[in-house]
Amino acid sequence: MQRFNHYQEEYYPSPLMHVWIEFRRSHIALVGFVVLSVFIFIALFGDLIAPFDPNLQNTNAILLPPSWEANGTIVHVFGTDSLGRDVFSRILHACQVTFGVSILIVIIAAGIGVGLGVLAGLLSGLRSSVINHLFDSIMSVPTLLIAIIIVAILGTGLFNAMLAITLALIPQFVHQTRTFVKTELQKDYVILDKLDGASPMRIFFNSILPGMAELIVVQATLAISIAIIDISALGFLNLGATTGMTELGQMLSQSLDVAYVSPWLVALPGLFIFLMVFSVNVVGEGLRSALRNRLKL
Amino acid sequence: MLKTSFRYLNLLFFTLLILLTFSFFLPYLFPGDLVTNMSGITPASEQQRDALERALKLDQSIAQQFKLYVENIYLGDWGVSTTTNTSIFSEVTEVLPATLELVFYALIIAIFIGIPIGIIAGLKHHNILDFTTVSFSIAAYSFPVFWLAMIFITVFCLQLGWLPTSGRIDLLYDIPTVSGFIMIDIALSDVDYKSQAYQNAISHMVLPTLSVAIITMALFIRFVRRSMMDVMSKEYIVAAKSRGFSSAQIVFKHGIKNALIPILPILALQVSTLITNVMIVETVFAWPGIGKWLIESIYQRDYPAIRIGMLIVSVLVLVMTISTEFLTRLLDPARENVEHATV
Repeated sequence: MQRFNHYQEEYYPSPLMHVWIEFRRSHIALVGFVVLSVFIFIALFGDLIAPFDPNLQNTNAILLPPSWEANGTIVHVFGTDSLGRDVFSRILHACQVTFGVSILIVIIAAGIGVGLGVLAGLLSGLRSSVINHLFDSIMSVPTLLIAIIIVAILGTGLFNAMLAITLALIPQFVHQTRTFVKTELQKDYVILDKLDGASPMRIFFNSILPGMAELIVVQATLAISIAIIDISALGFLNLGATTGMTELGQMLSQSLDVAYVSPWLVALPGLFIFLMVFSVNVVGEGLRSALRNRLKL
Repeated sequence: MLKTSFRYLNLLFFTLLILLTFSFFLPYLFPGDLVTNMSGITPASEQQRDALERALKLDQSIAQQFKLYVENIYLGDWGVSTTTNTSIFSEVTEVLPATLELVFYALIIAIFIGIPIGIIAGLKHHNILDFTTVSFSIAAYSFPVFWLAMIFITVFCLQLGWLPTSGRIDLLYDIPTVSGFIMIDIALSDVDYKSQAYQNAISHMVLPTLSVAIITMALFIRFVRRSMMDVMSKEYIVAAKSRGFSSAQIVFKHGIKNALIPILPILALQVSTLITNVMIVETVFAWPGIGKWLIESIYQRDYPAIRIGMLIVSVLVLVMTISTEFLTRLLDPARENVEHATV
C-alpha cells in the first residue's frame, strides 16, 4: 500500500488490511490464493464454462485421450471416459459438487461447533465436564467409521455422507472455541466488563466474539481440506455420492476398470482433488502465519 | 500420579460404556426387521420368529439384553456373521493383526524419518532445505490417500511391474497363522523357504505402508518443525547459549526434549486420521485388515459384523488416544496442575 503523502503522518492499516499485507508477503500463499479463487469461480459458474453436458454420452468418441496426446482432439480437452462423456465438463461439475458440499458442511459444522464450544467455555463443573471430556473422546472416533455407521443406518448417498462428515468435524470447532473462550475469560478486559455489571451474554457478544472471528476462519480452512478429502474418500469407497451424481472421488473409482487403458481418467480427478486441498492448505497456512506475525508487531 | 491415573481410568470407563451402549442399540436403528438383521434369516412363520427371538434373547427385557451383550463381548462370544456364517470373534482376530501390522510399520517410518527431518528443518528454518521440507510436507498431506495408493499401483505395479498390487503374501507360500502378524508367523513357521517368504511378504507390504507413512510423516514433520522453532526462540535457550554450552548440547538437552512433549497430544489426535487412512489403503490394496473387512460387510449389509467392527475400531482408536494423552501427562511436568482428564 504505497501512497504518496505530503504529511509526516504514519499509516496505520486496519486489522484486516494488516493481515492482507502480511499474507501477500508469502508468494506461495498468494499462488494458493489464486488457485483457490479459480476453484471458487468454478464452484459458482462451473456449469456455464463447461462445453458439454456432464452426462451427455458421445458414443462416437469413447476413451479419447486428452488433447496434449498425439491422437487427442481439442474438442474434448481432457478426453472422454468409457461412456464417451466429456471429462473436462465432468470434472468442472464434480469440482462444483465436491467443493460446494465441503464448504456447506464446514459452515454448518462451524455453526454448531462454535455454539457448543461457547457453551462449554462459559459453563463450569459437571455439565462442562460432560460436554468437554466425554464428547471429546467419543468424537475421536474416525470419520470413516461414523460414515460407515450412518450409511449402514440410512443407506448410501451424498446427503448421508455429508451428515457423517459434519458430525466428525464438529468436535475440533468445539475444542478450539472452548479453549479460546476459557483463556479470554481470564483476561483483564473481560473482568473489567464484569465489574461494569455486564451479563454473560453481553460479555460474549461484545467482548469475546469479535476476537474469535479470525480463529474460526483459520480453523475453517483446515476443516475444508479435511471435508474435501473425506467427501471424495467416501465417494471413492462407493459410500458417498451415488452413480447418478458426479463427484471427484466417485469419478476416480468409476475409472478404476479402465485404469490400465486410460490412466489419465485416474490421474485427472485425483489431481483436481489434490490441487483443491493443496490450495486450501496453503492459504490456511499463509493466513495462520500472517495472523501470527501481525500479533508479533 | 494416582489421582491422574484414576481420572484417566474414569474417562476410559465412561467412554467405553457409551460406545457399548451405542453398539448395543445399533441393531434397533438399522433399517428392516430386527430379527432378520441379527440372524440373517427371514422368519417364514410365527413359530420360527419366536424361536429366533428366543435364540437371540430378544424376548427378554432391554436391561437383561444389555447385560447379556456386555457379558458376551467380554467372553468373546461376538455373534455370527450373516454372510460367512462363521464366528465374528475368529474373523476379527484374523483381520485385526493385519491392520495393526500396517499401522505399526507406517508409524515406525513416520516417527524415525519424520521427527528427525522436522527437528532439522526447525533448527535451520528459512533456508532452502527448510523450504523444500515445508513444501514437501504441505504437498504430502494434501494428497488424498486413495489417489496416492493408486498412483503407486499404476507406476510400480502396472508400468514397471516391480511390486505386486494386492494381498499380503502369495498363495504359493503356505504360512500357518499363529499370531496373525505375517512377519512373526514366517519366523515361527518351520518351512524351508523362509527367506523367499520374507521377500514376498515385504514386497507386498512396501506400497500400502508407504502410502500411509508418507502422509503421516508429513504431518509429523509439520508439527515437530513448528514446535522446534518455538522452543529454539525461548529465553532458556538464549540463557544456555550465554552460559557457553555447545549447540549440540543445547539442541539435545534443551531443544528436542521441550519440543517433543507439547506435540504428543497433537500426535494423539492424528491416530484417528491414521486409522481412517489405513482403512482406505486396505481397501485399495486388498490388504486383509479390519478396514477392508468392515467396508465389505457394509456392502453385504452384514449387520452383526458392522456392529462389532464399529465397536472394535472405535475402542482401538480411543484406547490409543487416551493412553497417549495419559503418557503425555506423566511425562510433562508443566501440566501437573491441570487435573481433568482430557483428550
